[in-house]
Amino acid sequence: MTEPILKIRNIESFYGPIMAIRGVSLDVHPGRIVSILGANGAGKTTLMKTVSGVMDPEKGTITFDGEDIQGSEPHKVVQKGIVHVPEGREVFPLLTVDENLSLGAYTSPDKAQVERDRELVFSYFPILAERRDQEAGTLSGGQQQMLAIGRGLMANPQIMLLDEPSLGLSPILVQEIFAILKRLNTEQNMTMMLVEQNARAALELAHDGYVMEVGRIVMDGTADELMKSEDIQNFYLGVQEEGARENRRWKRKKTWR
Amino acid sequence: MDASTLPAQTVINGVTFNATPGQRPVLVDGTTTIPGLFQKRCADLGNRTAHREKDFGIWKSYSWSDYWNHAKWIGLALRKLGLQRGEVVSILSEDRKEWAWFDMGIQCVGGIASGVYTTDSASQLSYLINDSDSRFLIVEDEEQLDKYLQIEGEVPSLLNVIILEDEGLHDLDHHRCLMIEELYDIGRQAERDEPGAFDTEIAKANPADTALLIYTSGTTGMPKGAMLSNENIMAGIEAGAHRLSSYETDEQLCFLPLCHILERDVSIYFPLASKSTVNFAESPETVFANLQEVSPATFTAVPRVWEKIYSQVLIMAQEATPLGRIAFGMALKTGMKRASYLVENKPVPGGLNAQFWFWDRLVLRNLRRMLGMDRLRRGGTGAAPISPELLKWYWAIGVPLVEGYGMTETAGIATINTPDENRVGTIGKAVPGIDVRIGQDGEIQVKGLNVFQGYWRNNEKTAETFTGDGWLRTGDVGRMDDDGYVTITGRLKDIIITAGGKNITPAEIESRLKFSHYISDAVIIGDRRKYLTALIMIDQENVEKYAQDHKVPFSNFASLCAAPEVRALIADEVKAVNTEFARVEQIKDFRLIDVLLTAEDDELTATMKLKRGLVEKKHANLIEDMYT
Repeated sequence: MTEPILKIRNIESFYGPIMAIRGVSLDVHPGRIVSILGANGAGKTTLMKTVSGVMDPEKGTITFDGEDIQGSEPHKVVQKGIVHVPEGREVFPLLTVDENLSLGAYTSPDKAQVERDRELVFSYFPILAERRDQEAGTLSGGQQQMLAIGRGLMANPQIMLLDEPSLGLSPILVQEIFAILKRLNTEQNMTMMLVEQNARAALELAHDGYVMEVGRIVMDGTADELMKSEDIQNFYLGVQEEGARENRRWKRKKTWR
Repeated sequence: MDASTLPAQTVINGVTFNATPGQRPVLVDGTTTIPGLFQKRCADLGNRTAHREKDFGIWKSYSWSDYWNHAKWIGLALRKLGLQRGEVVSILSEDRKEWAWFDMGIQCVGGIASGVYTTDSASQLSYLINDSDSRFLIVEDEEQLDKYLQIEGEVPSLLNVIILEDEGLHDLDHHRCLMIEELYDIGRQAERDEPGAFDTEIAKANPADTALLIYTSGTTGMPKGAMLSNENIMAGIEAGAHRLSSYETDEQLCFLPLCHILERDVSIYFPLASKSTVNFAESPETVFANLQEVSPATFTAVPRVWEKIYSQVLIMAQEATPLGRIAFGMALKTGMKRASYLVENKPVPGGLNAQFWFWDRLVLRNLRRMLGMDRLRRGGTGAAPISPELLKWYWAIGVPLVEGYGMTETAGIATINTPDENRVGTIGKAVPGIDVRIGQDGEIQVKGLNVFQGYWRNNEKTAETFTGDGWLRTGDVGRMDDDGYVTITGRLKDIIITAGGKNITPAEIESRLKFSHYISDAVIIGDRRKYLTALIMIDQENVEKYAQDHKVPFSNFASLCAAPEVRALIADEVKAVNTEFARVEQIKDFRLIDVLLTAEDDELTATMKLKRGLVEKKHANLIEDMYT
């Protein structure tokens, strides 16, 4: 395989005295979608924030395109081509759709490129073109998520970090957004790192996957391998094991093998 | 009993024992059986706290009266449901107050209590129920009940299954299953119908009656049920009390499986004599937090637990402020110097004592408080070998940790060190009333009233376990020094004969390997082979920490084991161990077991030791790889 575009090595991140990431190493190869699964509090979002520079790691290195970026300021990280689409959408509610998109291209000096990017966003999310003059706060949840992804695309990134794009969306909208992400990946060769609780959708979309638990990676492999793992099926995909009775409530212990 | 024929009595910490241990009848406060002692304690202590258990985050107390009443209802109800004297009841549950209640209830009506590990599979459960011919099965919850439901058709002798927790089982409708509350109701009714029946049953107990059945993990073949009589246990209590101080004000923490003789003695039978209070840990995962809350007076654990606490302290120290690290380093250095005197029973020089006092005030006392060891009078370790360095480290931080030795077949006790009479690296001296000798082939052999009655329905195995002159063969090889301190060097049956014809005791090499913080267990291979090799299980926490500190990338356990740096680390540990052994005893190659084994895996015993036979079988490909 090619050299990974993003290499994370032995990262440790803290919230005050609390160690949220306890030594994580992972690789993202160009053109691939890597999904990170895990329960609440596993450290997925913290990992994203550490990559995008919102948080600084205590230890470890993050190499992007051959260059160490750990501890860089977030805007420097964006300029290098990493864009973080945060959890919960976080669009600017009082600005219009257009203004939100323009802010995504804030660091770009090339006006013509910005306009090309805007057209690209509109081609993937036609609804945003329709609502371009509407205040972002008045959009539906799904449209806001599209706007957040579109705003990320405006920075013309090499890799997108997507934090729970399915959060709070109806199943049909999740399908729609994930289909667009898939197209972005195949048509634009966009590399993505995706954090998800919706394990099934994430594994169907992704090429590779990692599973995090309390700040550590407990399992990794291609998406197909993960789908086949008994632990993943049981704890993330809701497959019921054959039990002695119906409605078994207890879960066996995870082994991650 | 005629008072004039009784052995001379002595009082130890408020409890009367035979002045000369090892004599019949074995008397504890005038009683000769476990039910008798239990009855006396409950009558005398009434509302005093016997047990504590955490319920929704709050420690709740249960008195000796609760102990008595519930045991009574259990006993009477089981009798009502068809339990005969001399029949077995199996208990499949984690540690909890009901475990003790059932143990006593069953024994008081003449039943035999047999524990089953919660990590055992359904097929193992089926074997145990059938082998012991159990009449009743006590299951903790839904998870354990499911094991029974899988094997329902295979265990025809079973009359009823009693469930302790009804969570998720409200809709259960099964003709053999009943909830604990229903059992109590049957017991209450039986008491009204037949007042005094429970006491009558207790009076029928004899010292020679089998009280419990303990299945030994058996690294080869199927588990065997060791029969322990009332007298065996009373002798164990007597021997323990003569060497180890315990007071009625003592707090203890119960967390190792009660199916194992060690925890059973320490948390159920010894407290019957000493009147101490037993606190049940919430779960195996919360032991360290519970330890801190309870801050026990005595704490008995297996080496793995002591190793874990040690690693935690080291990690804590490494992550402290620079000043904190320096202070901890100085304190530990002083502690170590002092420990060198203490473990050799030499007087500590005054200056050093003063220094220690200072560092103790400043650092070590806080450390002990953080660990929940600030009130600890004595720590105990057994069931597996422990590193002498680790023992010394605990003495250095002000925790008197001593090693003991016993096995199911000796009612859990045979030799012990005490804080006053301690020789690090040995398993101590024979306990009072119990004789230990070294046999012809170097085997440690034991004789005393604590030695078990034999294996349940297996006279052949029983006969193999005793020598011609009636001593118990422990299967362990060792030596005894002039003062009577015993050192174990290995297991008799594990002796490896290499292709060159050299006899090697693998346990000696294995325990040296285990003393490394990076190695949690190891199995030496080499029987009928050209040279020795090893299968090694790494200590996940410490190796992960090493990898983290040395920037070794890894994702999961398998990739950690595959990292060349980790292999090099273990290779260095192996090399260091090799220097201590003769050439033929050196390990030429090794492989890491790259799956994270859990207690549910066959390869591990309940105390998390590797089972040689199964490891060799399951990882045959790794072994062959080392010889091609």
